[in-house]
Amino acid sequence: MAERVVRRTAFLVILLLALSSALATSYPIVVKDELGGTLTLPRAPQRIVSMIPSDTETVCALGACDRLVGVDSLSDWPESVASLPQLGNANQPDLEALVALKPDLVLTDEYSGLAPRLRALGIPVYAGTPQTFEQALAFFGTVGRLLDRQAQAAVLTGRVQGQVAAVAAKVAGSGPAGSDVSVFVELDPTPYSVGPGSYLGTLLAKAGGRTIVTASMGEYPQVDPEFVVRQDPQVVLLMDAPYGQSVAGAEARPGWSGIRAVKDGRVVALDLQQVDMLSRAGPRMGDAVVLLARLLHPGRF
Amino acid sequence: MERAELRRVALGRSAPAPEVVSWLALALVMALALSVGSVKVAPAALLAALGDGLRGQLHGAVDTIVWQLRLPRVVMAALVGAALSLAGAAFQGVFRNPLADPYLLGAASGAGFGATVVLVFAGAVPWLARLGVPLAAFVCALLAVAAVTLVARRGASLPATSLILAGVVVGSSLTAATSFLMMASRDRAAGILSWLLGSFAFASWERLLPVVVLLLPAALAILAAARALDVLQLGEEAAAQLGVPVEAVKMGLLAAATLATAAAVSVAGVIGFVGLVAPHAVRLAFGAGHRRLLPLAALWGALFMVLADLAARTVVAPADVPVGIVTALVGGPFFLALLRRQRA
Repeated sequence: MAERVVRRTAFLVILLLALSSALATSYPIVVKDELGGTLTLPRAPQRIVSMIPSDTETVCALGACDRLVGVDSLSDWPESVASLPQLGNANQPDLEALVALKPDLVLTDEYSGLAPRLRALGIPVYAGTPQTFEQALAFFGTVGRLLDRQAQAAVLTGRVQGQVAAVAAKVAGSGPAGSDVSVFVELDPTPYSVGPGSYLGTLLAKAGGRTIVTASMGEYPQVDPEFVVRQDPQVVLLMDAPYGQSVAGAEARPGWSGIRAVKDGRVVALDLQQVDMLSRAGPRMGDAVVLLARLLHPGRF
Repeated sequence: MERAELRRVALGRSAPAPEVVSWLALALVMALALSVGSVKVAPAALLAALGDGLRGQLHGAVDTIVWQLRLPRVVMAALVGAALSLAGAAFQGVFRNPLADPYLLGAASGAGFGATVVLVFAGAVPWLARLGVPLAAFVCALLAVAAVTLVARRGASLPATSLILAGVVVGSSLTAATSFLMMASRDRAAGILSWLLGSFAFASWERLLPVVVLLLPAALAILAAARALDVLQLGEEAAAQLGVPVEAVKMGLLAAATLATAAAVSVAGVIGFVGLVAPHAVRLAFGAGHRRLLPLAALWGALFMVLADLAARTVVAPADVPVGIVTALVGGPFFLALLRRQRA
């Protein structure tokens, strides 16, 4: 038994070494980002600024946390980034402080206008941040290539896919076909929720659940409170719990006393860490699916 | 107003002209805004950076910060403030209504709608992305005002009441459409909101150039109409009897003020209150004669906006507060205080 473990570990180490030499980035590289802009990196970036929380997580998950010199104000994971200079957010950036850090790579989104502004200043920038599970997996590879961390990106991708596959194996056949646990995700009490095509909607599907919102209602629709009662969800996830909503308050809403989630005590108040994990398409996606699966199928985990 | 005049008479010729004082104050405030930022720059380094910029040879991060971030931002704030204030003074003069502001005829809601459409659909529609937010905002601002003018027109004349009503209605409809787009694409809502509330965070020389080109003729046209505006205050009929071509002056002024407003909004977003507060402050301090009011309103608008932007980027540093929030928060009480003083 012990011998097998040693042999498997040795095999993995050799595989990783082989991978890392085969997957080394040979600089200079030229990359096109999602805005169609060209990014040229003469060498592996050593002074990275991330203006998107999930990008920060990806850089750190690839073992390059020590190369970050600045982050946006919402980046809070892993905890070590808390000591870095905070530069506002992509829509309201502290450009002066960003320029003063002399970054050799800035990771940001494609919508805010920050990327073209930085490009005009001659600062290397990659615009494009993942919105879906698949895009996030591809983004690990992109960042891995930019940072010469391709082996780590392959390992990270494998780990996330492994977590999702393990969850899928456990929740499969948990009942008759089409018996996914129905979930009402409450983003805020007005109430806004998520459709099946949204990022969180796809995570729910991977965890053996489905949002009560139908595809035709859109990705982030405001739903009629009556609709929630009529759909009778088995589980309610309060994503707005960190912002003041409570389980008791939700259960006391008109008509809610009869719905299954309330009768079974399955109205769940999520904390801020969990909400962040469920909202960011990044390295913790696998953990997010495991978290959802535990909440939806407590008997199986 | 009387007190100010009394003081001027009492002090005789020794009192400097308010124009000179205002120019000096603006220069001082701009120098202050240039020397303060989230990155500390020593005065010597600041001057060196300005010299490098003038020679067109930028070295290092400090040069970039001073010449490519701070200076265009301060200049843009001054220009936008001057434009909005001048446009506000023109609108108030044309409509003889103290509540008129540059956004009365739908320029702000038009610009907001255009910017939101680009921000929401740029990912899916490539030509919208190429059009860009500033140009879309500019075009939609002009379209909104054109629509209002067409609706309100009675033959060759533009009755003020129908203009104001049409402006309010078109404005609310476009604002509703903007809100709907914003709620329907929640992931973009933060970006849209920060554009709508106004910011100079993305100011650059490249963005400044078209603003200057549009603003200069608009501002000159408004300044040149000072006398006609004075006569217009007697009422449109009286002005016509005195030989002022009332409809032509009105249309020209509305067009120039709209152009100035659209240019300002397209690069800075919807910044409220400046167009209302600055002209009234000048009126309360120096009287309502347009030959003095218009240039001073432009100067004070510039001064107010540079200060507001300075506050926006320093009060909660390192984050930027949308400058429209600062102008409203500071401008409102300031305006009320002025109003009380005038009544006392």
